Amino acid sequence: MFRVTRRPIVVATLLRAVRDPAAGAAVTFLGTTRNENAGRRVVRLEYEAFHRMAEREMKALAATAARRWALRRVAMVHRIGVVPVGEASVGIAVSSAHRAEAFAACHWLIDRLKEIVPIWKREHFRGGQVWIGAQQGTPDTSTGRVASGRTGTRGRRRAVDR
Amino acid sequence: MRVRLRFFAALREQMGARGERILKSGATVETLWRSLVAERPELAAVPVRFAVNEAYVEGSHRLADGDEVAFFPPVSGGR
Repeated sequence: MFRVTRRPIVVATLLRAVRDPAAGAAVTFLGTTRNENAGRRVVRLEYEAFHRMAEREMKALAATAARRWALRRVAMVHRIGVVPVGEASVGIAVSSAHRAEAFAACHWLIDRLKEIVPIWKREHFRGGQVWIGAQQGTPDTSTGRVASGRTGTRGRRRAVDR
Repeated sequence: MRVRLRFFAALREQMGARGERILKSGATVETLWRSLVAERPELAAVPVRFAVNEAYVEGSHRLADGDEVAFFPPVSGGR
């Protein structure tokens, strides 16, 4: 199961997708919306995806992981749209015969997903909003700029105005 | 040749979600991006990645008639 969805992520569904009689371990990871980032009070996150490519890239990552580790099954789901504080935006489940492989693969998969799967995050915080990118580090709230590039004049104005 | 353009996240807000361009044959993704930057100099600061027909490519990738070129700002991050 490799899916981009607007619905809340259900862990039981992820686990069902990796159920396998030859598996002795199932590891799950959930990435959830945290209430704070870089000193800002985060109200919600909003995700946007290049939907089909994102699903395809997740599937390709799972295939790569399965070549590197002895895995049984992999499931990856990313939520898009508004994700309130405390709810999951991304979920991964990996099953394998023994636990070491599932732990290692799950860790690698979430790191790679963040690097290459075409999904973007807009952080809404008290006082503004800003697009967040992996290479950009922490945005500078006074200008709406991010460390290695701008979010654009509209983003900047909003960050200042609200 | 004619190519379709797609923009996402902060780039979408600047450029709109979709577009289209007529290019000379032999054009690469990089030459297309440079032509967009020439029209909107503020784009020069954007660290962009490219995908053609839903697969990542380098700037040197040669475009073909009917290609869909997607422009991505950096993806979502988190540690």
